[in-house]
Amino acid sequence: MSAHAILPGAAVAEVVLSAEHLTKRFGQREAVSDVSFDVRAGEVFGFLGPNGAGKTTTIRMLVGLARPDRGTVRIRGLDLARDFRRAMVHVGCIVESPDLYKYLTGRENLVHFARMLPDGAMARIEKLSALVALSERLDDKVATYSLGMRQRLGIAQALLGSPDILILDEPANGLDPAGIREIRQLVRVLADERGIAVFVSSHLLSEVEQTCDRVAIIHRGRTLATGPVRELVDRVASDRLRLDVRPARRAADVLTAFGAAETEAAGGEGTVRARIPKERVPDALRALAAAGVDVFAVERELASLEEVFLEVTGGQTV
Amino acid sequence: MKFSGLVENEILKFSRQRRFRVVVLILVALIGLIVFAQARGRERVLGKKDWHVETQERMARIQNGLRDGRMPPSMQRWARFELDRLRYHLDRDINPDAVSGPLFARGFANAASYLLLPLLAIVFASDVVSAEFAQGTIKLLLTRPVGRARVLASKLAALALAITLTVLFGGLVAYLFGGIAYGYGGWAAPVLSGFRASGERLDPAAVRSIALWQDTILAYGLAWFASLCVGAIALLTSVLLRSTASAMGTMLAALIAGTILPRLAPSWEAQKFLFVTNLPLPDYYSGSPPPIAGLTVGLGAAVLAAWALAAIVAAFVVFVRRDVLA
Repeated sequence: MSAHAILPGAAVAEVVLSAEHLTKRFGQREAVSDVSFDVRAGEVFGFLGPNGAGKTTTIRMLVGLARPDRGTVRIRGLDLARDFRRAMVHVGCIVESPDLYKYLTGRENLVHFARMLPDGAMARIEKLSALVALSERLDDKVATYSLGMRQRLGIAQALLGSPDILILDEPANGLDPAGIREIRQLVRVLADERGIAVFVSSHLLSEVEQTCDRVAIIHRGRTLATGPVRELVDRVASDRLRLDVRPARRAADVLTAFGAAETEAAGGEGTVRARIPKERVPDALRALAAAGVDVFAVERELASLEEVFLEVTGGQTV
Repeated sequence: MKFSGLVENEILKFSRQRRFRVVVLILVALIGLIVFAQARGRERVLGKKDWHVETQERMARIQNGLRDGRMPPSMQRWARFELDRLRYHLDRDINPDAVSGPLFARGFANAASYLLLPLLAIVFASDVVSAEFAQGTIKLLLTRPVGRARVLASKLAALALAITLTVLFGGLVAYLFGGIAYGYGGWAAPVLSGFRASGERLDPAAVRSIALWQDTILAYGLAWFASLCVGAIALLTSVLLRSTASAMGTMLAALIAGTILPRLAPSWEAQKFLFVTNLPLPDYYSGSPPPIAGLTVGLGAAVLAAWALAAIVAAFVVFVRRDVLA
């Protein structure tokens, strides 16, 4: 479940990155159609879609590698097409994979990219390599790095210019669970403590669910839904209950009688899953008690984004 | 974000790649081989007759020719220079036909300008842009707050530097190795240059006598210029093809075609406007008969410059405008 809903009462933060009606064609095929969204300071914005949905093409337009056929990218209000240099000062990014110069050392890579940034980037090299836990290997060639280390070096590189927006394309790709957790924690720290807007693309629904505050779902080049992760989850998940009860069979019977359509016993003796509308839950619990069923726990179950995805895409495979 | 920083980046990448060491190695090995082979061949030819006598006979023949007055005036100019040259060598007890270290280095400029130096320029230039695509680093390079034109300009500057160093290094190695075999002195010896081809014959009207060191600087300057132009064209193929192997292959094919074409189709005059035909600029300058009628140093340099300029403009336009989807 997402523990990172936008803080209640927080003022609405500044829009740092906005995509307005982005469209990109390759020949006859429209790879990205009319994609729009805003990313605000201090939030982690998920860009979710299956492979080939147009995520990377969209990202290429966001960072000026590809020119949109229609639409505008604004970074802190600056039109990327007109003000490329002034806009890109605020952007750090990894597009597709953390490709760095393998025949150079980690430090040389950072120096290389610091030279392409305003003064001050050079002074951040030490701190940033400590932040991504690479200080000890900084003078080794990147060719000797593991994929996780390359990903972290890529993030250090992206942070050199102390950007307002960090764009990460599939940061979890190819990483082991520990590596994924590290990146996830780092992303949260950057957003929560430094107020950086982080844009993360992923085809992993669990990834977005665990890291992001808001999400846009893209499929076949179109955004299908945009909103807080929790809200999207609630769209399909509000009536799911998970009960720890004994005896399970009798509880299932009671709940079925109560009008809950999909009662099922699962995961051993004492677990029952049920779909009961929110307003009828108290009655259902009273009925269980009356029937002599012991209730140890009742949980609202959040649906996974997989289910959200299935619903909003109308059952297209993920 | 200073431009010098960008150039520094490109130099760093150049110097760390293996190709730089490979080029150095090629030059050293090749020049060493040439010196060795030439010195071996010379031992057999020289030493049959006393060169003092031979030189004096040559001078006498020229003086006779000058005296009997039938020599055309343009020839007379050349004859006087040649007499001076022979006398210079005789006075210093140097065989005018002997190779010296400096002469070897001078000759290397001509020999290398056909294929070797352009080839090395191509080795550098072919992957300047395509390697960034192949490694995926182009995505980082072009998402920094630096305009694409500046990025390419820094690459061009570093490439020019690498080519310049290669030509200088080639000349230096030729002199060092040549010196081992033939001695290091002789930079001040006069050489005749400035022959011009008119029709089938050499026209000596514009002949000048200059010191060998001046002649050498001129020859290397021309070889350098030709290599720079080839580098610019190879840069364009690198931008267009985005693959080092195809860029290098294309340029090599062009180079080879350039050496074959004048031999197979010497009567096709339009080929003097191809860039490959004009690579042996030092040759045209020192007056060997050009492979195609009407070729001169000036025309050759102009043709090369035009090709290079067009290639640079095209490379910038494509590099700045094209989407990066690799």
